[in-house]
Amino acid sequence: MLSLLWLVPALPFAGFLALALFGRRMGAFAAAVGTGSVGLSALFALAVAAGFISSPPPARIYTQSLWDWINVGGFKPGILLYLDSLSLVMVLVVTVVGFLIHLYSAEFMEADDGYSRFFAYMNLFVGSMLVLVLAGNLLLLYLGWEGVGLCSYLLIGFWYRQPENGAAAIKAFVVTRIGDTALAIGLFFLFLNLGTLDIQKMMNMAALRWQAGSAYPEIAAALILGGALGKSAQLPLQTWLPDAMAGPTPVSALIHAATMVTAGVYLIARTNVIFTMAPAVQFAVAVIGAATLLLSAASALVQHDIKRVLAYSTISQIGYMFLALGVGAWSAAIFHLMTHAFFKALLFLGAGAVISGLDGEHDIFKMGGLRRQMPVAFWCFLTGACSLAALPLVTAGFYSKGLILFSAWQSRRAGFWLWAAGIAGALLTSIYIFRLVFIVFFGKPKTAVVKKPGPRIVIPLVALAFLSIVGGFVNMPAFFGVKDVFSRFLESVFPVPPQAASLPETELLLETVSAIVSLAGVYVAYFFFLAAPEYSEEMARTAPGRALGKFWFSGWGFDWLYEKALVSPYRWFARANRNDAVDLIYSFIAAASRFFHYGLSLSQTGKVRFYAAVLALGAVITITIAVLAR
Amino acid sequence: MSGPDFLALLPLVLVSAMPVVVMLAIAFFRDHVLAAALTLLGLLVCFASLPFAASYAPRHITPLLIIDNYALFYMGLIFAATFAVAVLSYSYLGMLRVRREEFYVLLLLAAAGSSVLVASAHFASFFLGLETLSVSLYALVSYPSSREKAIEAGVKYLVLAAVSSAFLLFGMALVYGQLGTMEFSGIAEGAAGLRAASPAFLGAIALIVVGFGFKLAVAPFHMWTPDVYEGAPAPVSAFVATVSKGAVFALFLRYFARVDIHQMGSLVLAATVISIASMFTGNLLALLQQNVKRILAYSSIAHLGYLVVAFLASGALRVTAVSYYLVSYFIAMLGAFGVVSVLSGREGDAVDLDAYRGLSSRRPFITGVFSAMLFSLAGIPLTAGFIGKFYVIAAGAGSALWLLISMLVVNSAIGVYYYIRVIITMYSARAEGETAETALSKGAVSLGGGLLLAALTLGLVWLGVYPSPLVSLIQKTIQGLR
Repeated sequence: MLSLLWLVPALPFAGFLALALFGRRMGAFAAAVGTGSVGLSALFALAVAAGFISSPPPARIYTQSLWDWINVGGFKPGILLYLDSLSLVMVLVVTVVGFLIHLYSAEFMEADDGYSRFFAYMNLFVGSMLVLVLAGNLLLLYLGWEGVGLCSYLLIGFWYRQPENGAAAIKAFVVTRIGDTALAIGLFFLFLNLGTLDIQKMMNMAALRWQAGSAYPEIAAALILGGALGKSAQLPLQTWLPDAMAGPTPVSALIHAATMVTAGVYLIARTNVIFTMAPAVQFAVAVIGAATLLLSAASALVQHDIKRVLAYSTISQIGYMFLALGVGAWSAAIFHLMTHAFFKALLFLGAGAVISGLDGEHDIFKMGGLRRQMPVAFWCFLTGACSLAALPLVTAGFYSKGLILFSAWQSRRAGFWLWAAGIAGALLTSIYIFRLVFIVFFGKPKTAVVKKPGPRIVIPLVALAFLSIVGGFVNMPAFFGVKDVFSRFLESVFPVPPQAASLPETELLLETVSAIVSLAGVYVAYFFFLAAPEYSEEMARTAPGRALGKFWFSGWGFDWLYEKALVSPYRWFARANRNDAVDLIYSFIAAASRFFHYGLSLSQTGKVRFYAAVLALGAVITITIAVLAR
Repeated sequence: MSGPDFLALLPLVLVSAMPVVVMLAIAFFRDHVLAAALTLLGLLVCFASLPFAASYAPRHITPLLIIDNYALFYMGLIFAATFAVAVLSYSYLGMLRVRREEFYVLLLLAAAGSSVLVASAHFASFFLGLETLSVSLYALVSYPSSREKAIEAGVKYLVLAAVSSAFLLFGMALVYGQLGTMEFSGIAEGAAGLRAASPAFLGAIALIVVGFGFKLAVAPFHMWTPDVYEGAPAPVSAFVATVSKGAVFALFLRYFARVDIHQMGSLVLAATVISIASMFTGNLLALLQQNVKRILAYSSIAHLGYLVVAFLASGALRVTAVSYYLVSYFIAMLGAFGVVSVLSGREGDAVDLDAYRGLSSRRPFITGVFSAMLFSLAGIPLTAGFIGKFYVIAAGAGSALWLLISMLVVNSAIGVYYYIRVIITMYSARAEGETAETALSKGAVSLGGGLLLAALTLGLVWLGVYPSPLVSLIQKTIQGLR
């Protein structure tokens, strides 16, 4: 079973190739190829998972070496697939959620001109993402990392005829590139100091050679963190994600919610040994996560565009994952990554159904009363919202978020404050998502519904709604007396988190607090946006209310700040430097090359006697050197 | 000679018999299809005999020849490349108003000469192989005898090659005069005895280097290359660029691995000068060139300069780098000239770069193939050319040839300019008002030609992402040089 592993990434790539080469002639068949390849890949992933769980390989690690790319002077980056319980979870999430979103796209994108191009990019994305999570060495991981970045760029700018989509794509690419550069430098640093790129060997080597808390692991961890911040849209590199919503909605669901943006979380979890040895950086991860989750939850509260609400929500939820990573709760981060993939994909797909139902309307204030007109979308969206708001007991989000908050509480460093930030974020989360639910689905209808979702949209919605409920039951808090299956499954990968002497009663208490907070959020949203919207409108009309609203709406002014502090000076510099001195060197080289080109061309006279003379002259020079320079 | 000797010699016997077979076949049935089919079949049989012969290698057969894995590897390369040239020639000759069948006899003779070269261990076999190759080439270059340019190219090649052969023979004679032997192994022993002392010996070796240099078309012995490539039919240019140079380079490496060039500092210096001069001359001359065949000719001059860098390295990577680079260079050059060949019409070859403008919209497949070949020649990753260049640089760095490597890097940058220039031309739209009427042939690509180009492209990418099988094959050939 396990030997089938290579097929899992290979199939989406094959689909991409087929679509890229023959897609234009396929017509509607393109969807079958695109969806089928990912579907088969998901089946093989399930088969591999069954094999992995029923008869675990030694040490719960299975590696498949496909070939060595190059082998020179001890530098031997292999095309090596590495499967352990962490990558297995990621593979399942990517292929299963990916398949559902492909199925959804088959209907969603049907009327689009670029139907086959869309599926080609999507298949390439799934393939690259699988390479990223299965890579056995950092070079291959980086290949996948750049591959998903490229696909993200291509898909954000999918409707390239509108210039603002192109601008959003470029922004996403450039901002993540800052992080990617840090990661590349991190790779060089690690290879230089540890002499290998193989992740496992690297981790062992780091533990042997480096002292915990010394400069080396801190630098390495900081550089890796830089890459993760860019990819996962965390402070201060979060500005690209809201704009990335310019892409088609399935893209937002797959790339900018469920999979690619969580790659940073995966990367840090994968290199957890280094982060454990770098306490300062690890604490920074927690602080960044806490700050990001609060800031973007506040921004989500005031957005008008349904997809931007979800985009800020994604940034905020990844903030929770970073918080978990920062306090060493590795499996809690991955657990939340998984449940978040389910419910956020669901929310995006539901939003997509609403948007296409209203003929491309994004503004939530022009929606309303859709509960009766689009019941399936409503119930599924509501499920996702409940899971995101972590309503107690029945939703997946409750268990994963609860575990993160509990781990934050236990953290030795600033535990209470991190927990407090998380719980405040939970309140905001609950408010902003139910604000969305109440405005969009309740109240009076404002826009006519032109299109009802068909079966290929309904099936993925229902399947994801199901997963958003049951996905949490794999890991229950201790006081339920049920085994925490998920954390145990990941135990072979992660070190056991430092267990503070805390009792199940503490956990029960904390879970109760977060349950109350999330229910309170629902009530607040109900009160301000459905029962008595005049209060919220009044609040927004006061001067400080308006200023704060505007400030949050613009994402805390980060775009403005970067525009003033970085982009404008850079543009100014580029303009001022149009005929710069540095360029003169290259112009000189070009001019010299041209000069020598014309000079040498004169020698090509076409006359044999001249050629023979040069031959003889060359012989004389050769003999002279050979004899005289001895 | 014993039985096993004959068996080891089988590929050489077969490839020498093939011209005779084809010639006799023509005498009775003059038919283009038959001649081409016999040629292709014969080359396949020759290729198939290689693994068989390998089981008897290594083996000295008479003082003249040595059949080892190294020789067999290069024979395989020669047979494969000749096969590709024959496929291209079939459709190319189809449109010429000449007697077509004798072309294949000459082609097979040239392949036989090249095979003798890569297996030779003696000045006599060296010179015989070289002349068999050269004489066939004179005729091949001027084969379309109604074209003035072809005749001109043939005569230029004949005259200049004769001059260079004179240098080579004189060098050989001087070596024989001092050491009394013409066997490479004997020369190596003798050279160890009188090393450093004798200017006459160094001068003799320098003359031999001149002879090699002419055939490899490294600066300053390169002058003939663009004229000959331009005048010759495109498939023959492909043959001159690949088989002829590859075989000579294989022998060059074998000879100077025996007669260790690193013992003769002044010759290393001379080779360094030649290498740098070739890189710059080739790349600078190609820079703004408008004739596609001349661009490829200059490019090949530069590539041979890169190969000399690997040649001057020492250690285990040297042969790997040279052989890998040659394979990638063979594929890319065959593909590039193949494209020129399938685009050529009856009136003349498709040489004008302007005619290639906007090709991508009319012939996407051909454009893709040509771009892939040019990317490989430029050394862009995911193509064989990148891996080849990587090995050359790795070999050079392993031997601390920093000057040569830095020159190679500078020249790679210059090279990218004109390779990309061709690609941009193909992908840019024609100017307004310009008609689509061009000098390029508009006929469909023949099935054989199309398959060949597809296979070459596939091989190019395959070697670029999965080089290890070829590398391990090459590493089996290394002992032959010790």
